[in-house]
Amino acid sequence: MVSNNGYLLEVNGLKTHFPVRKGLLRRTIGYVKAVDGVSFGIKKGQAFGLVGESGCGKTTVARTITRLIPATAGKVVFDGIDVLSADKNQLQMLHRETSIIFQDPFGSLNPRMTVGGIVGEPLKIQRKLVGRKLMEQVVELLSKVGLSPDHINRYPHEFSGGQRQRIGVARALSLRPKLVICDEPVSALDVSIQSQILNLLKDLQDEFDLTCLFIAHNLAVVEFFCDVVAVMYMGRIVEQAPAEQLYRNPLHPYTRALMSAIPQVDTSRRQQKNKLAGEVPSVFNPPAGCPFNPRCPLAENECLARIPPLKQYGEDKEHFVACWKC
Amino acid sequence: MNNNGTLLSLENVSTHFFTADGIVKAVQNISLKIKKGRTFALVGESGCGKSVTALSVMRLVPHPQGKIAGGKIIFEEKNLLELNEKQMRNVRGNKIAMIFQEPMTSLNPVYTVGNQIAEAIKLHQDKAGWQAKEDAVEMLQKVGIADSQRRINDYPHQMSGGMRQRVMIAMAISCQPKLLIADEPTTALDVTTQAQILDLLDELQQQEKMSILLITHDLGIVAERADDVAVMYASRIAETADSKTLFANPLHPYTQGLLKSLPRLGFTGERLPTVAGIVPDPLHFPSGCKFHPRCPIGCNDERCQTIEPEIRYVAPGHGVACWHAQGYEKITDKQNG
Amino acid sequence: MSEQSKKLPKGRSLWSDGIHRLAGHKLAMAGLVVIAAYFLLAAFIYISELCNWKISFLQWGDKIGREYEPPNAKNIIGTDFLGRSVLRKTIYGTKISITVAFLASILSIAIGVPLGAIAGYFRGAVDEIIVWLYTTLSSIPYILLILAFALVLKDKAINLHWAGLGTLELRGIASVYLAMGLTSWVGICRLIRGEVIKHKDREYVLAAKSYGCGDGRIITRHLIPNVFHIVIIDFSLRFVSFIQAEVILSFLGLGEKNSPSWGAMIDTARLDLPKGYWWEMTAATLAIFFISLALNVFGDALRDSLDPKLRIQ
Repeated sequence: MVSNNGYLLEVNGLKTHFPVRKGLLRRTIGYVKAVDGVSFGIKKGQAFGLVGESGCGKTTVARTITRLIPATAGKVVFDGIDVLSADKNQLQMLHRETSIIFQDPFGSLNPRMTVGGIVGEPLKIQRKLVGRKLMEQVVELLSKVGLSPDHINRYPHEFSGGQRQRIGVARALSLRPKLVICDEPVSALDVSIQSQILNLLKDLQDEFDLTCLFIAHNLAVVEFFCDVVAVMYMGRIVEQAPAEQLYRNPLHPYTRALMSAIPQVDTSRRQQKNKLAGEVPSVFNPPAGCPFNPRCPLAENECLARIPPLKQYGEDKEHFVACWKC
Repeated sequence: MNNNGTLLSLENVSTHFFTADGIVKAVQNISLKIKKGRTFALVGESGCGKSVTALSVMRLVPHPQGKIAGGKIIFEEKNLLELNEKQMRNVRGNKIAMIFQEPMTSLNPVYTVGNQIAEAIKLHQDKAGWQAKEDAVEMLQKVGIADSQRRINDYPHQMSGGMRQRVMIAMAISCQPKLLIADEPTTALDVTTQAQILDLLDELQQQEKMSILLITHDLGIVAERADDVAVMYASRIAETADSKTLFANPLHPYTQGLLKSLPRLGFTGERLPTVAGIVPDPLHFPSGCKFHPRCPIGCNDERCQTIEPEIRYVAPGHGVACWHAQGYEKITDKQNG
Repeated sequence: MSEQSKKLPKGRSLWSDGIHRLAGHKLAMAGLVVIAAYFLLAAFIYISELCNWKISFLQWGDKIGREYEPPNAKNIIGTDFLGRSVLRKTIYGTKISITVAFLASILSIAIGVPLGAIAGYFRGAVDEIIVWLYTTLSSIPYILLILAFALVLKDKAINLHWAGLGTLELRGIASVYLAMGLTSWVGICRLIRGEVIKHKDREYVLAAKSYGCGDGRIITRHLIPNVFHIVIIDFSLRFVSFIQAEVILSFLGLGEKNSPSWGAMIDTARLDLPKGYWWEMTAATLAIFFISLALNVFGDALRDSLDPKLRIQ
């Protein structure tokens, strides 16, 4: 079932460019290169983290590999199937075997549908379940995420943010997918609820042997949840390594700056501050060469001229970095 | 009058909202003291009442749904709640300024940023238009916006989130306020931009010698930037202390639970510690101690379930509202820390 | 975990929430009562005709007094130029006006909502065509457009044998409400299109797409229920304009000829006004005024209570 090398999902050179149209005739004057050449692979049962700040393209990657957004270039292979050129049947299979948990617990649930309706709709559409059989499945899913059957006829606005997120998780698991994409699942939740949901996700990952693509901007959350982490900046992956390694030995200047920018409660862990000057440049008009060079403390001539490729770091087969200075 | 360097003091302030579904007691009996030149953080989760507290200080609580129901807010020896609207307008922006979370909606999209800063200046200082404009350029430079002569004529939508927040800060400090209230100033920003903005606030605080009331839900920011802290839960203060003490020795189970459950770099466990239950609905607060349904001790304790504990100072400057907090029982009267 | 109970607690949907809030609005409830009264009266008239009941106050054709009798104790609103009771004519006029406005509203919603949803959801070429269509249509002066449609459709018989429905004969005012419905869908179409555009990129729609929900189901099960409150509000406000449009059409000679309508009453009565016969005009105008007022008040309150954004979170 799983393709070569044990990879459930393989992404190669993925590009998603959005045309920018201006003027009376709506001529395309340029492109927003939201994703500009991203390659990675997720092994079965692994939790793969995609980290970066807003605008780096991580959410676009998730939506492109599920074909919610059309890709501009590249190849995506899921469970042996070429996703980007999949036909109608294969696409339905993709819909069954992948699911997404969204960030916004308020916006990701249809306010006019009952909880039972929301969680059961994938089952209705894909497995054509109705009536008692459908209800049984829904009740089971709700109990798996810590909600009671009483909630079936209630509406999303009657629940708290954390509970709504649980409903979203139940919906995402309803078809027993192989790959679950978690798009910032706890960012919009209160701090005391985040750990509950993270634990829940971990439990479910164990129970259902899920493969996860975990997207977040909070490095600590990603470190807790993921086995492998990739850091994105302006549409590209700048560093990728197994979690403990990345946090122990971050190589790319952006990764370092990101880590030191996170406010830490634990004073003993406060590292030397790597201050980042400037702002993320306009995605429409990226700088030449390495996209990070305007803000990089180590930038030199080569960095201004050519984009560094993502390469293995020395002998380490699992640590990759895209930097001329590493 | 000797006020021990206290700039703003809230005494038993309560703010209520009147909704179609009932009365929401958003803030109940809050007392705190902000000292001159220091940063005071009010931290808590959604619905705890921290933003409403800030709005109450500015007397910007939406009216008529909301009303400050009691207490005193003493600033420069005057009770702000007794001032009339004209006097209050003299305070707002001039002596106490506020910046908000969403820079996109707090700036007027149809005016240039230069115009908006100049307007703030003209409202409180007797300056001519061109003078105000020059001051505005200076302000932009002060908040770290390069090329300020040119950027004065930009509109908000032409700027990034971080820049807009800087513009907001420029407007706020343009009249050299004594107190700056920052309501979640960096929540809508990226982590790297957040660090820059917080550094800017630190710098300005030193330069302008002002106090900052920082409203946030991020304990990391509190630990790194705040001098004094009050933790709010469900419309009340659960614990208050100076920053070092709070993080070294948290006494309230909520504070303890919160600190333990924070995902942090270097955590090696399989599961994160959690705080059980959900944040209570402001319309239906639990009886007794509002935290008791989620408290490992309080959920089984009858006193916690029925009687609400008030703040008692178990050590100088360290107040906590919990029947089971260390040293709580010994204190018999409310001494102010 | 609570014990298994046969009856699961019913949730409170956004609809019931809105209705609850509306119920607290006294003025709106008063308006609703008035609206209900008009509708029930119209329905009653239809039933009585179907069952051939002879109700005295509905016998508008009977001569009950002298011509042009002013309001007196016997005839509360006096008589018209044929000695018929103005009161009875006004009551009977409810049937025509309510029918016309109701059917026209339904028709314009039936055309406007699907077109708006399709335009907003699919965008691209489909959207451009539909927008072009309604922009052109709405640029033509409304009255001329209705006039044109009504004249063309007047007394026509439409062949619906292909649908197994026999022949549809358009008599009297049928052409009027058809014309109104066919020209008035632009407003609701625009509104729906705007709302659908806003909603179609929301995450719950993306979620539906991600588990294989087809476009049709997304539009009917996800988008339309979330924009439908606009339809209800538009319905109540548009109703008023249709009732008043019927007056204008009567002036143009397109109204109902064989039974009284408020528009027809106003049309004949305006010539009598200079002669000093004010009661027929007043009666019809007041009848229109009260239903319009009730609909406006109710429509406004409806808008406030059904708007999901106005809920205090």
